[in-house]
Amino acid sequence: MVLFVILSILTIALAIGTISFKSGIYSALSLVGTLLTMAMIYVTLSAQFLAIVQVMVYAGAIMVLFLFVIMLLNESQMSGADPLPWVQPVAIAGGMVMAAALAFTAFQFKAPKNLETATAALQGGTPGAIGETLFTRFLLPFEAVSILLLIAVVGAVSLVHRQAAHNEALETTSELATDGAYADEISSSNPAKVVA
Amino acid sequence: MVETQYYIALAAILFSIGAVGFLTRRSAIQMFLCVELMLNAANLALVAFSRAWGDLIAQSAVFIILTLAAAEVAIGLGIIVAIFKKRPTTNVDVLSSLKG
Repeated sequence: MVLFVILSILTIALAIGTISFKSGIYSALSLVGTLLTMAMIYVTLSAQFLAIVQVMVYAGAIMVLFLFVIMLLNESQMSGADPLPWVQPVAIAGGMVMAAALAFTAFQFKAPKNLETATAALQGGTPGAIGETLFTRFLLPFEAVSILLLIAVVGAVSLVHRQAAHNEALETTSELATDGAYADEISSSNPAKVVA
Repeated sequence: MVETQYYIALAAILFSIGAVGFLTRRSAIQMFLCVELMLNAANLALVAFSRAWGDLIAQSAVFIILTLAAAEVAIGLGIIVAIFKKRPTTNVDVLSSLKG
């Protein structure tokens, strides 16, 4: 219980840091901290594989992508007055009400099984145990997700490289290839064509 | 052993923090970070329920959601970069028109 309290306080503090830092870099780094503490919470929930994946995929790959984009865009701080100044207090009040309501609902939850036997059935959430579920009951979603990832990568590339068609070097090459005179020149310089 | 209810309450608090951040931040990237926070809160709830039922299905679902989140981030950041090429800002108040 002590470990859980420490981890939750850390997670909530870092999450509040994520939404309150003005600078995007600090925000992203704070979210990395949140994800790392959540990985530790996963370990206490006997989800070892997910904890490792959380660190590698989320805190590693995804957040590095975020940091790259933040540094690439190098956006300036938000300037000018907030056009909707009343949103902030309303949002904070609404968020507190939502958190209280959801937490109240959470405590209505009745444990369906004895926690010790249920935890034992998880086998520690090791890669072997997860893989067995993933490749039997989750086989179709697993394959679908691989196609989705491919589509996402192709989509991201086509989104960012939309201007590549106007690349001058590419245009001159394609013009040369379709240019009639150039094509004639090629065929006339071809000895086989001349003989024919 | 900590009861499931406390984990769900923590997930609820994290989700609310993410929702508040999404409403109050004005930079598109920071709003995106808040969406990630909300997604993680949902994952935490799933893992907690997985332990409550002693079933690994929820953990497999979390694995699928992690992959989905990676795809979503790739596309979302691609859109933000594409918009930034046209208009050098990520302030969502400035980017209020749907026309390119």
